[in-house]
Amino acid sequence: MSGPEDTVPEDGVTRDDPMIAAEWALGLLEGEELLAARGKYATDPAFAWRKEWWDDWFVPLSDAIPGAEPGDHVWDGIAARVAAQQATADAPEAPAPNLVALEARVRRWQWTAGIASAAAALALVWSFALAPSRVTDAPAPAQLAASAPMVATVPIGETGLRLDVTYIPESERMVVTAIGLTADGVHDHELWLVPADGTPLQSLGLVVPGEVRSIALPAAVTAKLGEGASLVLTREPLGGKPEGKDAGPVVAKGAFSRV
Amino acid sequence: MAALPRQSADEAREALREAMVRLAAGDSDALEDIYRATRVKLFGITLRILGDRKEAEDALQDVYVNLWQRADRYDPARASPIAWLAAFARNRAIDRLRTGKVRGGAVPVEEAAPLPDESPLADALLVDAEQTAQIHKCLSALDARTQSHIRAAFFEGYTYAQLAESADVPLGTMKSWIRRGLQRLRTCLEASEAA
Repeated sequence: MSGPEDTVPEDGVTRDDPMIAAEWALGLLEGEELLAARGKYATDPAFAWRKEWWDDWFVPLSDAIPGAEPGDHVWDGIAARVAAQQATADAPEAPAPNLVALEARVRRWQWTAGIASAAAALALVWSFALAPSRVTDAPAPAQLAASAPMVATVPIGETGLRLDVTYIPESERMVVTAIGLTADGVHDHELWLVPADGTPLQSLGLVVPGEVRSIALPAAVTAKLGEGASLVLTREPLGGKPEGKDAGPVVAKGAFSRV
Repeated sequence: MAALPRQSADEAREALREAMVRLAAGDSDALEDIYRATRVKLFGITLRILGDRKEAEDALQDVYVNLWQRADRYDPARASPIAWLAAFARNRAIDRLRTGKVRGGAVPVEEAAPLPDESPLADALLVDAEQTAQIHKCLSALDARTQSHIRAAFFEGYTYAQLAESADVPLGTMKSWIRRGLQRLRTCLEASEAA
């Protein structure tokens, strides 16, 4: 039942930026359009202003929504996450974390300092390619029983930009798409799998500007790609984490869940 | 709201604004005050949009952790704190809906619980009386059909496709209706600002 879409309307309504901002504020956008709007929000002050203008106008409508009492565990969870992050923030200036420390930090729901500065260094681009780097062992059968795709969202700081990572078990492939991030010419960003079982992080390769691509994953990686696995993105020198050196700072993280 | 017995809306808003300022200044105890004052309203919003308690609680947790991380982004001079928080919570919930993890809007439009149109809940932490009146006024100026679709988008988190399906019209038609409505809404709201 889809009629001709987005052709020039005979109704005389131009779908300009303020209109798209209104559609977004109302929550109508999805897929590509939603990603595009988020990207524009991060880079176009006029668009961001208009989105907030609509938000401000729409929000009084929410007074008609009845309140509801969340479970007690919600506050406990918030307090725990905040306490964990404070512990990191209060720690003295640490050297670049090695992978073991990194892993511990992630499990404690922590973000290292520097998200903001890293995010600021990340400019806009529409897609990423995940360059196969270290993870080039021969593919082997996946170990996962469940075949539901798993997805992870890796927000880049508070910029509204993010990596979307989808793992499709039967294909043993991972697809990385994103808005945000472009090469700054000085750093690369490396994606790491943080297994749920506490085993060491595994590199998923470098994220570099370019077209959306999917990569084949070796069995060593797919075996760890279960419920509770998460991802971290680190900032590295060009070419990725040097052999024998600690990984760079974590600039973003996200958790996998089954769709 | 239990956490705010006998407080006037003005007092509640002022207390909240003050807690937001403390939070921005790095006082993390302020977060608990903010949570106590706003959780019922914000959870109502995430629950309404997501239609699933667990998802709505997760979204709520994200809202407050995020708030703590970026408290300095709230400008006390600009918006009422509860308006800012409510918009933030709804945006988070919609984001969660659109990342495809949740099948939200589980209830068809016609079966969804009816919403009070003009009478905000007496015990809610209200956003802003004047602004509330204006948006309702501008919405009411739209034809009933357009109005109901815009409301369904806001309250149920429906996409164009879902709205078109429930109204049994082509997608393009639904888009036209809503865009025309949004255009007129904007004109009406801008006129009220200029006044």
